[in-house]
Amino acid sequence: MSSMTHSGAQPQVATAPNTDRGGEPVLEVTNLRKYFPVKSSGVVRRTIGQVQAVDGISFQVPKGGSLGLVGESGCGKSTTGRLITRLWDPTSGSMKFEGREIGNLSNRQMLPLRKEIQMIFQDPYSSLNPRHTVGSIVGTPLRVHQVVPDRQRLDRVKELLEVVGLNPEHYNRYPNEFSGGQRQRIGIARALALQPKLLVADEPVSALDVSIQAQVVNLLQDLQREFDIAFLFIAHDLAVVRHFCPDVAVMYLGKIVEITDRETLYLRPHHPYTQALLSAVPDVKQAAIGGRRERIRLEGDVPSPVNPPSGCRFRTRCWMAQDICAKQEPPLLQIGPRHKVACHFAGEHGAMPTSPITLDALGVDQNGDHVSGETKSAEDLNAPGFADTWTDLESHKKSSERLVGDHIADRPQ
Amino acid sequence: MGIGPTETVADHAADTPATAQEIAGRSPTKIALDRLRSDKIAMICLGIVVLFVLIAIFAPLLTRLFGVELRGGVPIEDTKADSFPIIGPPDYGFTWEAPFGLAPTTGDDNLAEWFYGARTSLFVATVATLVSTVIGIIVGLLAGFSRGWLDRVITFFIDVFLSLPFILVALALSPIIVSRFGADAASLERWSMFSLLFVLSALTWMTLARLIRGEVLSLREREFVQAARVIGVPTRSILFRELLPNIIAPIVVSISLGLPTFVTAEAGLAYLGIGVAGIPSWGQTVNRAVDYFSTYPVYLYAPVIGITVLVIALNLLGDAVRDAFDPKTRR
Ligand SMILES: Nc1ncnc2c1ncn2[C@@H]1O[C@H](COP(=O)(O)OP(=O)(O)OP(=O)(O)O)[C@@H](O)[C@H]1O
Ligand code: SF4
Ligand SMILES: [Mg+2]
Repeated sequence: MSSMTHSGAQPQVATAPNTDRGGEPVLEVTNLRKYFPVKSSGVVRRTIGQVQAVDGISFQVPKGGSLGLVGESGCGKSTTGRLITRLWDPTSGSMKFEGREIGNLSNRQMLPLRKEIQMIFQDPYSSLNPRHTVGSIVGTPLRVHQVVPDRQRLDRVKELLEVVGLNPEHYNRYPNEFSGGQRQRIGIARALALQPKLLVADEPVSALDVSIQAQVVNLLQDLQREFDIAFLFIAHDLAVVRHFCPDVAVMYLGKIVEITDRETLYLRPHHPYTQALLSAVPDVKQAAIGGRRERIRLEGDVPSPVNPPSGCRFRTRCWMAQDICAKQEPPLLQIGPRHKVACHFAGEHGAMPTSPITLDALGVDQNGDHVSGETKSAEDLNAPGFADTWTDLESHKKSSERLVGDHIADRPQ
Repeated sequence: MGIGPTETVADHAADTPATAQEIAGRSPTKIALDRLRSDKIAMICLGIVVLFVLIAIFAPLLTRLFGVELRGGVPIEDTKADSFPIIGPPDYGFTWEAPFGLAPTTGDDNLAEWFYGARTSLFVATVATLVSTVIGIIVGLLAGFSRGWLDRVITFFIDVFLSLPFILVALALSPIIVSRFGADAASLERWSMFSLLFVLSALTWMTLARLIRGEVLSLREREFVQAARVIGVPTRSILFRELLPNIIAPIVVSISLGLPTFVTAEAGLAYLGIGVAGIPSWGQTVNRAVDYFSTYPVYLYAPVIGITVLVIALNLLGDAVRDAFDPKTRR
């Protein structure tokens, strides 16, 4: 299977051919965590557990670019968005906006940065205050940050309404007089008012009719091009981000399981979960070239983030799962110039390796037991972006093979 | 940011609201008020309430207009040996000199007492409603928005206050306040009024506080509150600009229930001996007139009819207001 190695990749280490692609990151997230305490009921409310909503994720969003964040309901996408907009405080980890750490800023310190980082919300019916006029809603950010003098605020609001394709004369109407799509445009106008550099769009179209979805996505795309805004585009399926994001991160139960560019993700996904997500997306291109994707059905429900499965979190639903998956958490390995995947058996669908590829990186044998004398690889697995050097899948496989099987004797008794 | 329409949107035409002809929007509050205006009974009741308010405001003017005098009775001149007045009911016919008759024993004019009594009733009801509503709003907003320990402390106090038996506390508390501070006649008048208002509002804010806490708990999870925080709107503005307009309905309901309740409560408490001292009030008149019901019923009718009409009007008006503000019946 030569398609599994990237052409141009040297045996052990290769150099990224297109480092210029992303440019300067506007946002760098490193090992970000958010645990919500679970409190007992009663008078003395002790913490009896933790919802591991986001558990150590790293990614970066390039200036003016856009990263898609995809995953099932409850995997921690919104939590990530809310950490970046500092609605919630992170449990640990770092978030750098234009190189400046924002994870530990107080509300007051954060205030000037609010202009730069804005958010578009999922539900157009709850994201607009029903008691405020559109003019007041879109004017609020202008008022709070004194972007324009009070006298010019209304003119500016009208301009913004026009930018998002609404009738500017509707500024003194109330949200209940608009349709879902129009309301979402109002929310977009509000987010644009401060001319942000980064927009977190939390499932901006999933509450809308399919016919309206495309229009809103097109609007966002135009705005991004025109105003050079970087997007963190959150979605629960791959169909929407496909048209929007050159890079996509796939999340499962608080962790990123695969992060790569659009082409690789849609044509050669290496993680079983991505493959399952993708098989649910109707695909015209694939149908056109004759290759029809078989539908992968995932069994069972997403486990509780309070008590996630040991090892690989996806193992309770993975058809590839083996013993090692329960013992060792698969590291997020960079296996291509712009491709990271966290699976012991990463590979293209239908051609996945039969023995784990991560043994060398973890220093364990195929049962997940530590092999004496072996150490974990020194590679920084929490780096937000893609490194210039990486080890390709074939090399991982080869170097891992030497740890398979015949090391039982080495095991400490 | 260069501004220009980036696209002419296709869904614009298909998506325009049904009421395309009227550009100006109607706020939910305005819709409710429009609805109220078309309710005949509500408007009649509003008329009655306004009438009572006018009576209360212009009580001094009205007494002069009718040629009567507040507390102007001279017992020896105005009452007979059996303590009943020498003019008007119950022994003689109607006279313009004292349209509602004179009070037995004292010979004070009943009409003047009634005018000023309306004043006290409405004043007590309005102030008690206002105070208990403001306390309820602030406590409810704080508890709902703070979550955590502050919420638990506040909720605890709400529960404690709710478990207090109203009448018992009123009976116990107001004599203490009055005897502690009301040394001479002037301060007695002030402190008896204060203790009445205190008892009424201190024991009634909890229901609204609880309602508002619940509303805020659910509202604060709504995305528009988070949108406000992402924008950087200060917490105070979030509470009063974003949340408060959304809890108008329970506040209106609470006020509409509070006013008639307090009018009745003033009378009821006066009957139990708690109430304003030295100031005329319907409750005080009732308290005194009950002893004469068999011999001089008109004495009792005046304040009782006043209370009844006002309370019924307030209740019916309140009903209509609640219907108008009910989100379920909103278009
Ligand atoms: N305030 C909170 N307190 C406790 N747990 C929370 C809180 N907010 C979210 N969670 C939990 O964190 C997990 C991730 O939630 P999150 O809202 O980020 O998911 P999501 O990926 O956005 O899902 P959806 O597609 O449904 O929006 C969920 O299990 C959720 O129950
Ligand atoms: S690590 Fe194992 S369980 Fe997890 S996705 Fe890969 S094969 Fe499945
Ligand atoms: Mg979400």
